[in-house]
Amino acid sequence: MAEFLLEIGTEEIPAGWLPGLTEQLRRRFDEIAARELLAGEVPAEAWSTPRRLVLRAEVLPRQADREETVWGPALKVARDTQGAWTSAAHGFAKKNAVAADALGTGAKDLAKPGELYVFHLTRTAGRPAAEVLAGAIAALLRALQLPRRMSWDAWLDDGKGAFPFARPVRWMVAVLDGAVVPFAIRALVDGRPGEVVVAAGDVSYGHRFLPRGRGGEPVAAGSFAALRDGLRAANVVLDPAERETIIREQLGRAGALSGAEAHGLVAEWRDLVEFPTVLAGEVPAEFRTLPAEVLETVLVHHQKYAPVSEGGRVARFAALVNTDDAAAEQIVRGMQRVVVARLRDAAFFFAEDLKRPLADRVEDLSGVTFHRDLGSYRDKAERLAGLIGGPLDGPLGRAEDRAAAQEAARLAKADLTTLMVREFTELQGVMGALYLERQGAAPAVAGAVRWHYYPVSVDEGSAPTGVFADDTAARVFAAVALADKLDTLAGYFGLGLVPTGSSDPFGLRRAAQGALRVLLDFWPASAADDAPPPALRALLAAAVQGHGSRLKRPAADVQRDLEGFLVDRLRFVLVARGFAGDETDAVLAARDPDPLDDPRETLARLVALHRVRLEATADFEALAVAFKRARNILGAAPPDAVDPALFQEPAEKALHAAVAELSGRDGSYEARLRALAALRTPVDRFFDDVLVMAEDPRVRANRLGLLAQALSLFYRIADISKLGG
Amino acid sequence: MTAALQAYWAERGCLIHQPWDAEVGAGTMHPETFLRVLGPQPWNVAYVQPSRRPADGRYGDNPNRLYKHHQFQVILKPAPADVQAVYLGSLVALGIDPAAHDVRFEEDNWESPTLGAWGIGWQVLLDGQEITQFTYFQQAGGIDLAPISAEITYGLERITMYLQDVDDVYDLQWAPGVPYRRVRHEEEFQLSRYSFELADVDLFRTLFESALKEGRRVLDTPAPGASGGPSRTVLPAYDWCLKASHAFNVLDARGAISVSQRAGMILSIRKLACAIAERHVRPDDPGDAARG
Repeated sequence: MAEFLLEIGTEEIPAGWLPGLTEQLRRRFDEIAARELLAGEVPAEAWSTPRRLVLRAEVLPRQADREETVWGPALKVARDTQGAWTSAAHGFAKKNAVAADALGTGAKDLAKPGELYVFHLTRTAGRPAAEVLAGAIAALLRALQLPRRMSWDAWLDDGKGAFPFARPVRWMVAVLDGAVVPFAIRALVDGRPGEVVVAAGDVSYGHRFLPRGRGGEPVAAGSFAALRDGLRAANVVLDPAERETIIREQLGRAGALSGAEAHGLVAEWRDLVEFPTVLAGEVPAEFRTLPAEVLETVLVHHQKYAPVSEGGRVARFAALVNTDDAAAEQIVRGMQRVVVARLRDAAFFFAEDLKRPLADRVEDLSGVTFHRDLGSYRDKAERLAGLIGGPLDGPLGRAEDRAAAQEAARLAKADLTTLMVREFTELQGVMGALYLERQGAAPAVAGAVRWHYYPVSVDEGSAPTGVFADDTAARVFAAVALADKLDTLAGYFGLGLVPTGSSDPFGLRRAAQGALRVLLDFWPASAADDAPPPALRALLAAAVQGHGSRLKRPAADVQRDLEGFLVDRLRFVLVARGFAGDETDAVLAARDPDPLDDPRETLARLVALHRVRLEATADFEALAVAFKRARNILGAAPPDAVDPALFQEPAEKALHAAVAELSGRDGSYEARLRALAALRTPVDRFFDDVLVMAEDPRVRANRLGLLAQALSLFYRIADISKLGG
Repeated sequence: MTAALQAYWAERGCLIHQPWDAEVGAGTMHPETFLRVLGPQPWNVAYVQPSRRPADGRYGDNPNRLYKHHQFQVILKPAPADVQAVYLGSLVALGIDPAAHDVRFEEDNWESPTLGAWGIGWQVLLDGQEITQFTYFQQAGGIDLAPISAEITYGLERITMYLQDVDDVYDLQWAPGVPYRRVRHEEEFQLSRYSFELADVDLFRTLFESALKEGRRVLDTPAPGASGGPSRTVLPAYDWCLKASHAFNVLDARGAISVSQRAGMILSIRKLACAIAERHVRPDDPGDAARG
């Protein structure tokens, strides 16, 4: 085995690209090595920093020899009756530049061992790895998929011409057991290759600035071990995992690890530098009274600094630098100056925003576009008011809840006109709530404004779980969140801008899932005032109607597509919670009531079905099979009424009696399903003893009708024929 | 500081030029950038460019944001292989030792929809503060560039604040004993007042339309004489394009551009800019408009 070492030295590659590129480097090289018959026994390994991609692989020093069988004419054509070679044989031999006597005979098709053909074995000697690797390097570079390529006027001699890349390549290491593998990148001049700009060698380069006075010094790279150790001495931590460990450890010492993790900074920091050091700075006291959300957003959003809380306030920050801590004091002074400038801006925005009551900003929303064909956010606020006062009026129950929801819907988008949200869009909703709280609004109203963009995750415990102090707060939030999401969905579907398999630019899947989660997890189940739960289909219809003439498609079509989309998303949410796919499908196929109308009921049915099926597994399997059969027979034709006078077999009478007995049953889903499981015996007997497709059309219709009745008993809970996939 | 940069880049082979004498929002808009990056001719140039951004006016009250700030713009065409090292050398020339600070190149690509231009590059951070935009131009006027130019844009106020250890831009020493305040505060106030409160919206709308019209007319006027080919008036046309762009910026600061109008206006400027770029690289081609 020979060690192949490749380093591509570049100008700084975006941090977010590095994990993907490192993985690709490894994988693509293994593919190429296998294809070129160079592959060793262990997979290749790869590492990266912003300025270099490194690959190490064990390869065969020489390609395996290649043997290929070239088949010629059939033996009976190749040899005459005397056993001599014919002209056909000679022609084939000549074409392959061998003597006829060098030809072999064998069976071309192993399934027909008696049919013999002549053949010639070509042996291609494997080339030395050093020769093959040059082409492999080119193939590898081309195979890397990049989010964006930039032109840097470069050219490769692999027949593909121009070579755009992630960033300009400034050096390369390519060695096989210490010997340089020749490879070059040329300049691209006037559309043609020019002189060599990068030639592979056995020299790498260390950190740009460290050690001080020797930054960028060459590092001998005859082997991976030499490269790794030489880079370390030159202040480059090659291994991303090692950088992460260093970062975590230093964050821990600064008390900033949880703050960094909460904002996803650890992974990002890892790929921003070659020599990570964490420094800490102070948030000046005058700014510590700003809301924590604002402080965190300023620190994280603009500067990628980690907030450190002390006693509930953000007092310090931790920052990553690409150097050691020798000049820490000077660097921290500089960082603090930046932080102060930004915080001063934020404090300015905060103070300016507070000068106007949020309610006064509602009119200004007419200048903020939601979508060019769907109007402004002012229009949206009006539509939300319509939904809250319309189909959500009943479910909201009490007068004060209705009033609070109306108020929240009116104000929910007002913070989009504030300086703070214009600067930090991720604070939308949060700023509205913060300003409202300071202006004396009711907690339920402020809470609804803050959280109405949620839920964004399908996970059951995720925000805003556990946030609402009482039913009023929960219901007001749920009403506004639901109205907003459904209005958005109806609008985009109305314009025909529906998600496809690969693209969902408006986040409609998330909006639909959010709306369903609101109904499943956040609408208070117990209404002390007998208020009905929200009816989803009625809400959809009202949302569609709210867009009026803005729709570009007939309202009925939009409604139908929305309902289909929501059922699909409901399935997604339920399966994501761990329910079996077939049970979910069975429950979603139920009729009367419609599973979309009250997702909570649908969930209850699903829970019941799962439980009862576990108890009576064999019964349900048998019923599933029977009902699949029944559906196939029944097809689309609606069955007629059943006339007992037409029964001929005892099995018909028995099934009819069982159906009649179970029809009247009420009770919990579980109890009903348990009872229905008992249908198994009469149904099985029916199929065993009775010819459903009788000759007499009236008897046939009667038997079909009886089957349909048995099936329909289940339909109020689940379509059993969907079980078992 | 400007002198130090000029000396450094002159030594590296840059022609030291002067700012463009019209209202522009960035050094990129100067013909020495926009037109020179087009086509195959190598060119190295450096110049200061006062840059007007009406929407950033703060009446002289904000210590960090200015209606007009000063950029130092460098174009290196083609981009040399050691361009990053050369840039870092310029920091040393300014008295900034990269090894005594945290200097980083952090991904930041740049785009100008009005000029049909974009590039790939970084913001250079000095201890967390952005001091330079470093871009490899990929396209200008809708035309793919070859060779690629490196554009290095320094924010002069920002770097000077750093070097002088000053928190408020108006406290900068423009020259020993002469603070920035004395030189520019009144101007900042007056320019902000004008663009936020006084600018005549109808006038600027007319200016916008007229500038585009005149720029287009100039570009499409055939050359005098029998040849019938297009006239060589790319630069005057571009001057009008810049005026349209500035009018747009004033209207924007005034809040007079609705969301639905914005995209259309940007597109109009862009169309003219791209036509100008086309004519610049193909001076004899009258373009599709003339062919009809």
